[in-house]
Amino acid sequence: MPVTFTQFLTQIATALRDENGLDLAYLVRPTSPHGKDIVKEFRNPSRQTLSRYEGAVENPWDEIAIQYVLVTTHVAKQRYTEAFKEQSHLVNLFLRFFAANSGWTLPALFAILRDLRDLAFDVNILLALQADVQADAGQKSECMESAARVISKAFSHCITDRTSTYDLSRKWGVYYVVGLILKSYFRVRRISLSKNILRALEANKDIPPLSSYPKAHQVTYRYYLGMLSFLNEDYAKSEQELTLAFYTCLVSAHNNRERILTYLIPLRILRGHLPSRELLEQFPVLDQLYSPFVQALRKGDIKGFDAALDASERRLVDLNLWLTLERAREIAIRGLFRRVWVASQKSNRIPVAMIHSALQVSGMEVLVEEAECLVATMIYKGYMRGYISHEKQMVVLSNNNAFPRLADRQTPFAPY
Amino acid sequence: MSASAASKPAHSTKTSDSKEEEAQPHLGVLEEDDEFEEFPVQDWDDSQTDLAHLGGTAPGAAKSSGDKLWEDNWDDDDIEDEFSVQLRNELAKTTKEGVPMQH
Repeated sequence: MPVTFTQFLTQIATALRDENGLDLAYLVRPTSPHGKDIVKEFRNPSRQTLSRYEGAVENPWDEIAIQYVLVTTHVAKQRYTEAFKEQSHLVNLFLRFFAANSGWTLPALFAILRDLRDLAFDVNILLALQADVQADAGQKSECMESAARVISKAFSHCITDRTSTYDLSRKWGVYYVVGLILKSYFRVRRISLSKNILRALEANKDIPPLSSYPKAHQVTYRYYLGMLSFLNEDYAKSEQELTLAFYTCLVSAHNNRERILTYLIPLRILRGHLPSRELLEQFPVLDQLYSPFVQALRKGDIKGFDAALDASERRLVDLNLWLTLERAREIAIRGLFRRVWVASQKSNRIPVAMIHSALQVSGMEVLVEEAECLVATMIYKGYMRGYISHEKQMVVLSNNNAFPRLADRQTPFAPY
Repeated sequence: MSASAASKPAHSTKTSDSKEEEAQPHLGVLEEDDEFEEFPVQDWDDSQTDLAHLGGTAPGAAKSSGDKLWEDNWDDDDIEDEFSVQLRNELAKTTKEGVPMQH
């Protein structure tokens, strides 16, 4: 039986009376089944024709319900720009109610903010289809940035809750909302705008620790924090956040785990931790991308490493990963030098000439002087321990631990 | 007429762009525009995460400390491949060429 608008209003009143946040969230989503019924009920609704419903439920819910009809109708007719505008208005009305209530309302907040962001996303797609993407880049990001501004207002209402009890604090919405804002900025590549919201978050020390939030909120927040640190080349912080995101992530959320690992694997490689077969076999796409690198590193195969860099260049550049992997080339060079050492029965004296010919066998056409310089660099960076006797053209390696385990390096991410 | 002349170069740039696109091997679902997806549930138990692989150690460690997903001890002293042979031959040559091996 179709749901009439009057019934819909009654259901809202009931959800408000029972303080049932999940029911409220269900009621305000355009994708819920009653949305279709309500679109059919009103052929060409406008705020004016719907004004007779004002006062039917407690304000601002009468206005929110009216907005709901407008949004749902626009969505049904695929008028996303208009739908986005009306949904923004709906969110602003809701925030008036939200600011005066406790955290039981959070499920509804999450639902309408997510819909707002999704609508901004639909507008983006629409604009991309209509016109040249380049020309409309500004217009494209406009909706998304406007969505992020509205969502930021919700963030303020969450974080400033000083009246609700701990369990029912609006503060429990903070990380989900921040996740949505970051997602919006990443989508339109206005990543620098993320700093404001992170600063605001840091300025508020009296929110519960991240680890006591739902895991979905934790993982999303840590993923974006890890990505921001990655783009700022703070690899140590990035590795830390992405590691926690990965080990907190729901195993069945395959795409999200793959997304985290795309960036975590190269960072781990720089630390000397290679992804195992057991890990890569779960992610065929990552297996295809990273296995050539892993194999080359295990064998100290510089030629193989360079071939892998070449073969995936476009993909790695698109993902902002090319420079990160290029850094791992040093690990391949270390591997080659270690093989020279093993081949000479782990002698602690290795002629520079030997290193030179090993490099040439690997396809690196370098001068003897360059080979010597490369050894000096590797010693300086802690990949091998020893010194070079320049007069004797001899590399003198430490008697013990000449090639420390990569995982034991103190500053694996230091760019020098 | 001038309009059609002006539009021509723009058109030819586009075709060369799309050709370049095709040359790149396609890797399936991994796209820079993919985004982190909404989770189907808000919360879950540790047993439904990869923590299960850790055997009680802290995340961030590697295989030698129990995590089966990463290896931190992979230096191999017995790699036998064509490159090894090539390397040994080359090293033997270098030694013969008069650089003294000291012990």
